[in-house]
Amino acid sequence: MPKVKRSRKPPPEGWELIEPTLEELEQKMREAEAEPHEGKRKVESLWPIFKIHHQKSRYVYDLFYRRKAISRELYDYCVKEGVADANLIAKWKKQGYENLCCLRCIQTRDTNFQTNCICRVPKSKLEEGKVVECIHCGCRGCSG
Amino acid sequence: MAMSKSTNTYNRQNWEDSDFPILCETCLGDNPYVRMTKDKYGSECKICMRPFTVFRWCPGARMRFKKTEVCQTCAKLKNVCQTCLLDLEFGLPIQVRDNALKVKDNLPRNEVNKEYYVQNLESQIKNSDGTEPLGEVGKAQAPSDLLMKLARTTPYYKRNRPHICSFWVKGECKRGEECPYRHEKPSDPDDPLSDQNIRDRYYGTNDPVADKLLRRASAMPVLTPPEDKSITTLYIGNLGEFIGESDLRDYFYQFGEIRNITIVPKQQCGFVQFTTRSSAELAAEKSFNKLIILGRRLTVRWGKSQARQSSAADGGVALPPVPGLPGALPPPPIPSTSGVNYFNIPISSTLPPPIPFYMPPPPLPSSSYTAASSSTSVLPGAEPPIPGTERPLPVYYPSQDPTRMGAVQIKPAP
Repeated sequence: MPKVKRSRKPPPEGWELIEPTLEELEQKMREAEAEPHEGKRKVESLWPIFKIHHQKSRYVYDLFYRRKAISRELYDYCVKEGVADANLIAKWKKQGYENLCCLRCIQTRDTNFQTNCICRVPKSKLEEGKVVECIHCGCRGCSG
Repeated sequence: MAMSKSTNTYNRQNWEDSDFPILCETCLGDNPYVRMTKDKYGSECKICMRPFTVFRWCPGARMRFKKTEVCQTCAKLKNVCQTCLLDLEFGLPIQVRDNALKVKDNLPRNEVNKEYYVQNLESQIKNSDGTEPLGEVGKAQAPSDLLMKLARTTPYYKRNRPHICSFWVKGECKRGEECPYRHEKPSDPDDPLSDQNIRDRYYGTNDPVADKLLRRASAMPVLTPPEDKSITTLYIGNLGEFIGESDLRDYFYQFGEIRNITIVPKQQCGFVQFTTRSSAELAAEKSFNKLIILGRRLTVRWGKSQARQSSAADGGVALPPVPGLPGALPPPPIPSTSGVNYFNIPISSTLPPPIPFYMPPPPLPSSSYTAASSSTSVLPGAEPPIPGTERPLPVYYPSQDPTRMGAVQIKPAP
């Protein structure tokens, strides 16, 4: 949960069912933030943050769009409270982006040749036996 | 010194701004669609310390990114690649190239002198068309035998591989499979080759690679002619698929009359038989270790003796014997200067003098070669044999053999 004070409005119905999981992920996030950077590469330090952020959004996305276990109100509430990343979820709804790792990896403006990240290259298109680990979020391939 | 581009002062040091790098084939890599980034005034030249345009690219899959290291003026001055500092024509270190061409470059090392020198060069570049190398290299003579022997004919892409992972060497690399660096045992640190620096390489002083190449050149094997004087055949190996009989004939006719050329496509080799021993010896001397046809370095060896060749039947085509002939004739007498010359004919006069070494390998400049060939006049007797007339006959008739008909050999009086 974000550290800022939540809105006064009481959370919608079903919040107490998803709260423990989100609390757990939030705890993990706090640990990742406090983790020392020693022994890590420069780019590596942010990888766990991206990973947990992805996990949180994915949890809410799965509950609402896949399993249809939570109500529209609760989903909207989660997005509004910053539990789920609406921009990332918007991408997951598009074909070919179902497993997208993070938004930086499809930001072509940030690369030299206006390309996507290496993790966006399908495994079949990569050369045989090549292991990739993208520098943005440490993704090892999120495109099938 | 005014280094800002906006202040226009007289005699200001020029910063290089180029559109295309000067690179060798190896540094560019095998991908014809290479993408490069260009960084205007990206860093200082490692030789002249002036800012220059840095190009950066990946020379193919599983290669490390490369970038230009010296500015174009410094590269043009020595006719070298901007990245690897190896000669653009021969792919050899500067020290080796200068040694072989007998070029002595006295580049100023002092900072002020260097600036003045470079400034003069820049004005020279502006006046020239940019096709000829500047400095002493441009004035050098035709390439020497040493360069031909040492030169690389094909790109050596292993040079572009990633560096060895220093963490892995210490046993600390945690990246495992994903590590883009090479997980290999490094070469011995005591090896002189592992201690190189770009300035020494550029100025051609204590370059360990050059030392190694020059040592290798001095220890290069020589092809000794076999004892058996009847051998006039040369073995030509590493022909590949595209070099045919005509290519070999085009090259070897300059050394003397060719009796026969046999190509064995399966082994990718061929045999060139000369009519005389002297021309075969000349050909062997002129082409051993430096014969490059169509960009392929060919191996040249002496052929086996006639007797062994016929028994092994590996050399040429096994010819069916002509029926009804008496036994094989004795081999032609060996020409020797010590033998009695009955007709007072100088042996050399019967042979066309060899025209100078000429061949068209792609990486070589044509200008230097044409200069070499025009320096010696070609005698009218040295006309190339008409290709149609020298076709190997389907059946071997000793009576049609040119040497046995007394065309070239001096026969002892009956």
